[in-house]
Amino acid sequence: MKTRAKYGKEQKSLKTLRERLGKEWLFCDGGMGTILQAKGLAGGELPETWNLKRPEDIIDLHCSYLEQGVNIFNTNTFGANALKYPDNLEEIVRAAVQLAQEARHRTGREDAYIALDIGPTGKLLQPMGDLPFEEAVRLFGQVIRIGAAAGADLVLIETMSDSYEAKAAVLAAKENCDLPVLITTIYDASGKLLTGGTVDATVAMLEGLRVDALGVNCGLGPEQMLPIVERMTQVASVPIIVNPNAGLPRTEGGRTVYDVDPEEFSTWMERIAALGVQIVGGCCGTTPDHIGRTIRKVSRIPFRENTPKHRTVVTSFSQAVEIGPRPVIIGERINPTGKKKFKAALREGNIEYILAEGLRQEDSGAHILDVNVGLPEIDEPAMMGEVITRLQSVLALPLQIDTTDSLALERGMRLYNGKPMVNSVNGKQESIESVFPLVRKYGGVLVALVLDEQGIPATAEGRIAIARKIYEAADRYGVPREDIVIDGLAMTISSDSRSALVTLETLRRVRDELGGHSILGVSNISFGLPRREIVNAHFLTMAMQSGLNCAIINPGNEAMMQSYRAFLALQGLDENCMDYINTYAGTKAPSAVPAAGTAGAADGQQGSPAKDSSEQKSSGGMSLAESIARGMAESAVRATRQGLETTDPLLLINEQMIPALDRVGQGFEKGTIFLPQLLMSAEAAKAAFEVVKESMSGTAREVKGRMILATVKGDIHDIGKNIVKVMLENYGYEILDLGKDVAPEIIVDTAIREDIRLIGLSALMTTTVVSMEETIRLLRERKPDTRVVVGGAVMTQEYADAIGADCYAKDAMATVRYADRVFGYEAVDPA
Amino acid sequence: MRDPQEVLRGVSRKEIWRYLGYSRIRPDSRVDGVIDSCLEDLLQAAEPRAVWRDFALRSGEDGSFAVVRPELDGLGQEQELVEMELHSRSLARNLDGCCRVYLMAATLGQGPDRLVRRAQIVHLSHTVFYQAIGAALIEEWCDEVNREIIREGRERGLYARPRFSPGYGDLPLELQRDFMRILRMQKEIGVTLTDSLLMTPAKSVTALIGMSETKQACPVHGCAVCPMGGDCAYRREEDA
Repeated sequence: MKTRAKYGKEQKSLKTLRERLGKEWLFCDGGMGTILQAKGLAGGELPETWNLKRPEDIIDLHCSYLEQGVNIFNTNTFGANALKYPDNLEEIVRAAVQLAQEARHRTGREDAYIALDIGPTGKLLQPMGDLPFEEAVRLFGQVIRIGAAAGADLVLIETMSDSYEAKAAVLAAKENCDLPVLITTIYDASGKLLTGGTVDATVAMLEGLRVDALGVNCGLGPEQMLPIVERMTQVASVPIIVNPNAGLPRTEGGRTVYDVDPEEFSTWMERIAALGVQIVGGCCGTTPDHIGRTIRKVSRIPFRENTPKHRTVVTSFSQAVEIGPRPVIIGERINPTGKKKFKAALREGNIEYILAEGLRQEDSGAHILDVNVGLPEIDEPAMMGEVITRLQSVLALPLQIDTTDSLALERGMRLYNGKPMVNSVNGKQESIESVFPLVRKYGGVLVALVLDEQGIPATAEGRIAIARKIYEAADRYGVPREDIVIDGLAMTISSDSRSALVTLETLRRVRDELGGHSILGVSNISFGLPRREIVNAHFLTMAMQSGLNCAIINPGNEAMMQSYRAFLALQGLDENCMDYINTYAGTKAPSAVPAAGTAGAADGQQGSPAKDSSEQKSSGGMSLAESIARGMAESAVRATRQGLETTDPLLLINEQMIPALDRVGQGFEKGTIFLPQLLMSAEAAKAAFEVVKESMSGTAREVKGRMILATVKGDIHDIGKNIVKVMLENYGYEILDLGKDVAPEIIVDTAIREDIRLIGLSALMTTTVVSMEETIRLLRERKPDTRVVVGGAVMTQEYADAIGADCYAKDAMATVRYADRVFGYEAVDPA
Repeated sequence: MRDPQEVLRGVSRKEIWRYLGYSRIRPDSRVDGVIDSCLEDLLQAAEPRAVWRDFALRSGEDGSFAVVRPELDGLGQEQELVEMELHSRSLARNLDGCCRVYLMAATLGQGPDRLVRRAQIVHLSHTVFYQAIGAALIEEWCDEVNREIIREGRERGLYARPRFSPGYGDLPLELQRDFMRILRMQKEIGVTLTDSLLMTPAKSVTALIGMSETKQACPVHGCAVCPMGGDCAYRREEDA
């Protein structure tokens, strides 16, 4: 460890923490906040201010733990960050470390380690909350730099209830000091983080980030922690820390009390330690007595080192997918290769299109999604960051970051909330040197392509040799071998009829000789052949039989999924065939095989087992107008397709779709139709418009006008705005949707740049109406001819007048009517 | 207390209709069908959690109140530490005569928010259903927590007032920061606050419940305390 001088520690030849960690019992201190409260910390008073106001109380507290024999004790910095201490953070943190040093000195416990205590920021990260990920990293980094410079011996990140924030804190620690990093997260009684993460998912992510030890603290008493700790000992390879509360908190006359007394606590801790834990201590409600008794009891029992578990795990914020005997499906559809619409979506920044592709694959049964957003003309790192962030806000599946651009790869890995799959490295020196350091830093399961400077070996022997070379590189870079998955490379049999055999042999040898895991982009095997899915589906079965662990396929391709589910059932990997039965019971084999699927190379999505057929039955033959009026999207699409065979598209729009929409809109205004029906109609109309648009191949219908829509700064709820958007689009407006939490400058700049005549602003909270007012003020100053219509939950006519808006729209229809007025399309009075 | 999932399953259909904007008219069977499927999604996704604590309440001269916590000082003497100050005319009427107050926070967790985000991509009209049903569910969950608090109060001979939340009447939203700290909401139930004082997850509620030693009808609740005065799409018919 190349830290700054440890003030005489070296002279006394004391062992460093890294030398002792995981090799012998180590003990953490116990409650601090609860003790400070009992000492009179007032409500609203920040505990860290006592580092300056009441330093002796803090030193006393440290001393009382040190005297009991703790090895690791926390500075009073749990809540210290620049959000809470904008003016004197450095002073507070530096004082905290100095008080700890003073306590160590007074007790003669120079062997004890000062842990710079890092708690959560109290904010939720974007996109769910309003704290940007990099801002969280920066906030933690500030504290860590100060604490490390002041002489802390380790960083202890604790009480993290959100894996994403935990990741930000660990990265900040790694990037701002070279001290050991220990981290404990807080689980509830169901064994999950409050943000949904399981023990398996959290451990895999944190080990990927190369923490020195990890564990659990707070939230629960020792008894309730038992199952969590047990699971942790089964999946974690690094030393495990357990710091429980003194039972579950209870209030008694307004005071929080913890019921587990020191004797009982220490008895529980003895049991916990014996499970295979290496570091124990306490949290809320525990006292020096709790910890002292724990130390005395636990020291007596034999110490066991934790052992490597060699599990191959990729995770999302909540799920862990283990790569092992049961093959997993990796959805390949988020990839622009050969997809015109997808490329257009990337160019236009239409993220929703990409998200919808992700959701569809999740519904089809994918376990992991490959994410490739590479297109020469776009900023790939920025797009990768955006897509990863948005995908993980709607999907629970782990992602596979697929790019050849190392900047995009790092951006994706950094912003990823979990331990991703990484696609890919290969045997070329250049590739090894650019990819392995990222995997070492951020963690990930790495796909390794068995090709190198000489190209793709024609034999399995050659491919295995490259695989070995990549495993050796992993050893050099400190990436565990189980985090490598070998891509045996499926090459089309249409150009070399023996290529499938080579691939299959490679898979077998990866499994049998190398004890490794494998992956394949399955559908490449049939390139250039007719009816590709026939070959693909059979090849998939053969590959799984040869040991394939991960199949990159289109999960919407029913033939492939049939092979997969049948294989699991036949291989004894689908208990009682439940998954197979649940999927196929009650479905019928298609009478004729649908047109050939060129899986992975075309836009067409093949249907999964027929569901959603109820609407079809009940709505057979319904007219387009009626379908829209009744809000039946599938029927509207069908009616539109039929109509287009005989009718001019514009006629269809003007004589059927618009009148139907108008009827519903007027019903809504009169109060005979309600918002749910209005929206269902709007969706049906939207689906119908899409069909018409496709048929007109680009020549869109007349655009009435262009508008900006935005939810104002500080507001992160955009449902209302999105409803207004779909209504306006149906009525012929082109919408520049700036999203939510949008700064006034961005709105005004866009209005000027695009010469926009009308802006719609939405705000949900009284606290964000001020941003609305600010936006209008700035607009009046810089682009006075643009009108503003406002809406949102708290908005009223009076409010709108007070902030100088041109119009208050009480709902989506009112916005449409106002837009028609501004752009000169005012309807003739329907009465 | 009953099992939270069971509580949510008991949500009132009429409340869902009300939040969807159907005040007097019943929705048709198609809308009802969507309600069923969205309700089921929400029940799967929701992770109802709650935290509450009670405090002594001290009234000030200017009609303000202080929520206080007793602690023992170094000498073992009990001292009162102020946790929260309340300056609100509407709340003052609600708390009049109360000696104690419960602070509560309840949430459905992040699952419902995720459903809404998904629906925005693939099924916009469902966002409205998730929102409305979610609102009915969180109220149902709050009612259960409230009942538990009433029961706790009764055991100590106290009578509860109707619950009152920041943002009602003139009770400032800024109090959300105090709730966050006092109830340790992030740690206990996974609720955080944005800079604009919006709680995430969205389906979360904080409230104060006054307790008095004498039973007293409290007229100030429901639409009566709202600045909209019942003039909105969500008014309760019995209040309007």
